[in-house]
Amino acid sequence: MNYKLSHGVLKPIWTVCDQVSRSIKTQNVFATRKGRIDAHDLCFLSGSRLTNVLKGGNIMRSRIVWSSLFVAFLTLGLISVTGPIAAADEEINIGAINDMTGATSDVGKDYALGVKEAITWINETGGINGKKIKLYQYDYGYRIPEAVTLYKKLKNYNKVVAILGWGTGDTESLSPTVTKDKIPYISGSYSAHLADPKKTPYNLFFAADYSTSARAAITAWYDEVWMKDAKFKERRDKKEKPRFVCFYAFPAPYASAPIKAVKDQAALLGFEVGPDQDISLTALDCKSQVLGAKSFKPDLVWHGNTTMSVAAAMRDAYALGLGASHITNVWGFDENLPRLAAEAAEGAIGVTTCAFFGQKVDGMDNVLAYAKKVNPSIPLDKRLIRTIQGWGAVLVLKEALMRADKKGPLTGESILKQGFETIKDFNLGLGIPPVSYSAADHRPSPVVNIYQYKGGKFSVLEKVDLKARWPENWQNKWLGW
Amino acid sequence: MQAYLPCGVYHQQYSEDHAWWQTKFVWGKMILLGVLLFVVFPWFGGYYLGIMNSIGYTIMGALGVQLLIGFCGQITLGHAAFIAVGAYTSALMLLHIPESQAFWAVFLTKSGLLYPVSIVAAGIVGGLWSVLFGLPSAKVKGFYLIMTTMAAQFITVDFVITQYVAQIGGRGQAFSLPPGTIKIGPWEIDSDVKVYFLMVTLVILMTMAVANLMRSKTGRAWIAIRDNDIAAEAMGINIILYKLKAFFVAGFIAGVAGAFWISNLSAVSPEHFTWFWSLWLVGVILIGGFGSIHGTIFGSLFMVLVMELLQVIVGVLTPWFPSLSMNFLFLKESLFGLSICVFLIFEPNGLSYRWWQIKNYFNLWPFSY
Repeated sequence: MNYKLSHGVLKPIWTVCDQVSRSIKTQNVFATRKGRIDAHDLCFLSGSRLTNVLKGGNIMRSRIVWSSLFVAFLTLGLISVTGPIAAADEEINIGAINDMTGATSDVGKDYALGVKEAITWINETGGINGKKIKLYQYDYGYRIPEAVTLYKKLKNYNKVVAILGWGTGDTESLSPTVTKDKIPYISGSYSAHLADPKKTPYNLFFAADYSTSARAAITAWYDEVWMKDAKFKERRDKKEKPRFVCFYAFPAPYASAPIKAVKDQAALLGFEVGPDQDISLTALDCKSQVLGAKSFKPDLVWHGNTTMSVAAAMRDAYALGLGASHITNVWGFDENLPRLAAEAAEGAIGVTTCAFFGQKVDGMDNVLAYAKKVNPSIPLDKRLIRTIQGWGAVLVLKEALMRADKKGPLTGESILKQGFETIKDFNLGLGIPPVSYSAADHRPSPVVNIYQYKGGKFSVLEKVDLKARWPENWQNKWLGW
Repeated sequence: MQAYLPCGVYHQQYSEDHAWWQTKFVWGKMILLGVLLFVVFPWFGGYYLGIMNSIGYTIMGALGVQLLIGFCGQITLGHAAFIAVGAYTSALMLLHIPESQAFWAVFLTKSGLLYPVSIVAAGIVGGLWSVLFGLPSAKVKGFYLIMTTMAAQFITVDFVITQYVAQIGGRGQAFSLPPGTIKIGPWEIDSDVKVYFLMVTLVILMTMAVANLMRSKTGRAWIAIRDNDIAAEAMGINIILYKLKAFFVAGFIAGVAGAFWISNLSAVSPEHFTWFWSLWLVGVILIGGFGSIHGTIFGSLFMVLVMELLQVIVGVLTPWFPSLSMNFLFLKESLFGLSICVFLIFEPNGLSYRWWQIKNYFNLWPFSY
């Protein structure tokens, strides 16, 4: 802080605070100690001397703390008020609501890094038809009330034209509001509830929805493990049904969103479904749930939580000899899973919406370069697939913005109608299956890459195309749940 | 002049002695506050109104906690559950009653009385649910009561609401309220400013109700129970009845807060009512000051505004310090814990005590002694 600011602005504020504080303390001290000191004495003691006389340094310290707090907040407030958000004419304001500190921060932080790096890349490589993006990125700690306030801030104060959102809870909760305000909300939540434009026209995402992904994962396990593994031959020959249970956090909308579809797909493939087990998103011990499932003798477990919780469940399943295969939803399957679950993760199958961080695919060079450039303090070997998912959300928004911008001024409605809903079989790179959106269907893709972790690396187990396999269901039955 | 300043006012009736606003100066201040709340603040933009609505929601939530902990001495860590009960009661009424063809249902829907009625119903259901979890207070107190109220949180939100209530009508967990559902008479609550007016009205009503209760027999009984429940019982206070009354009133206020919340968002989900929110509300009254309605308001203002200010400052400084938005996140999270520590050490009586001191200083200035 320069001399002029500290002496010109802060000193008078400090002096006023100090005087008020002294006077208040003088009054308090006198009120409480007037039996020991009379008013005459008081007249000859200044505030600070009096407090020192009466209470040693305690009140002085208290006064300093209060004055400091007051001055600090006043100063910070002044800074924030005098720093209004005034975007240049050639800038496009985009908001981001991320979870970097909350219940899903194990995957959310890396996603947020990816968003920021991708926006930096866009700005440094020509922007949106020459216009730069100004990103307002905030953390909401997975607290819905805070997400609501942030949303209003982004809309009314930052004047954003689109928002890169995060969880299922806040996205589904904000859905009526974004529809009313006509602000495209590209979420990290791929809940199928958000894919029906009749109900949620302004909710979008770049990859197969959770329900589609779950159906694909169950199908891949059925095709590649149940139908091919020799250990199941005898049971297959006896026409026994595969036994299946679900581990997920009942109260978490992310985890529970695809459960109806999961069970529907299990029924479609002829599975016998056991009792669901409630495992918190922040669970560290899942033994009781594993034991609860063990009595059912499952062949397959669906993990619907995020990585940390999934790893805990896999570890306990391994330790207690559950003996089932594991399939995992998109936010529970990343590079951290084998690090956390160690040998328990061997053979785990999971949904991915894109390539893993660092895999040799189209566009990965940019990801690596900007990870190093924007966040040099984070080693590349600590980065996750979540970064790529952040890029995916930004890349699809970029494409929509470019298309809408060519047609006229950017508004929420133009970004949706002239942007997103004109995208057909567009290749975003980064191992993401081609995406399409229409006015009747916001499911980006029926194709899902199912990976398996085996021998220390992730490799594709099966590429499942649900539309090709069940065209009637895909077209007429599965939209929106 | 006598009527404008407190010095020299001599009450001749008990009613004068108990009046809320005893001098014309105080009346003037209240009118000014009314002008600020109903005329000036609504002119602020949507973002500021959003913050004010958030403050109002926090006040309504914390008021019940204040009543239970600050006035009646019944520690609760499950208050978000009662807010959730209110929110779901109101949401279910708004979604299901219009589908009915019964005369009363059609009348309520067409007259725009459905939402106001649902607010009252939310309060009653929230209150009764709170009484249910207040029953253990007849036998246990202190840390044991904390455990039973925490159980309320998990049983209500994670089990009853998520597993059963949220599945009603096959909507999935997040209930979304279609536009036009939330109306008071002909007035559709579809903008921040309308939500703001609703919030201000509800906060004023709730605050007045609690302030009035506190100068009634019931309020005095609660304070007696808080200060020494054995002595209170010895004096003839039915402590179980009064404790349950406290739980009912706190649950009622929480239910109303929940019903208000859905107007702000047009949606409701179990994730809105986490255990952390219950803890947060206790933090609010700890910072504001136990046993003070002012404290509830100051605590809510402090908690919401400080978080918002930090958010704004990080946003403003990020262009110059790009790592700020990523590497200093712990600051915001830590601030909650830090502010509680700071208040416990330096100001255990909370912001309301500080306010009382400042007010006294100016009231008595320049001859404060």
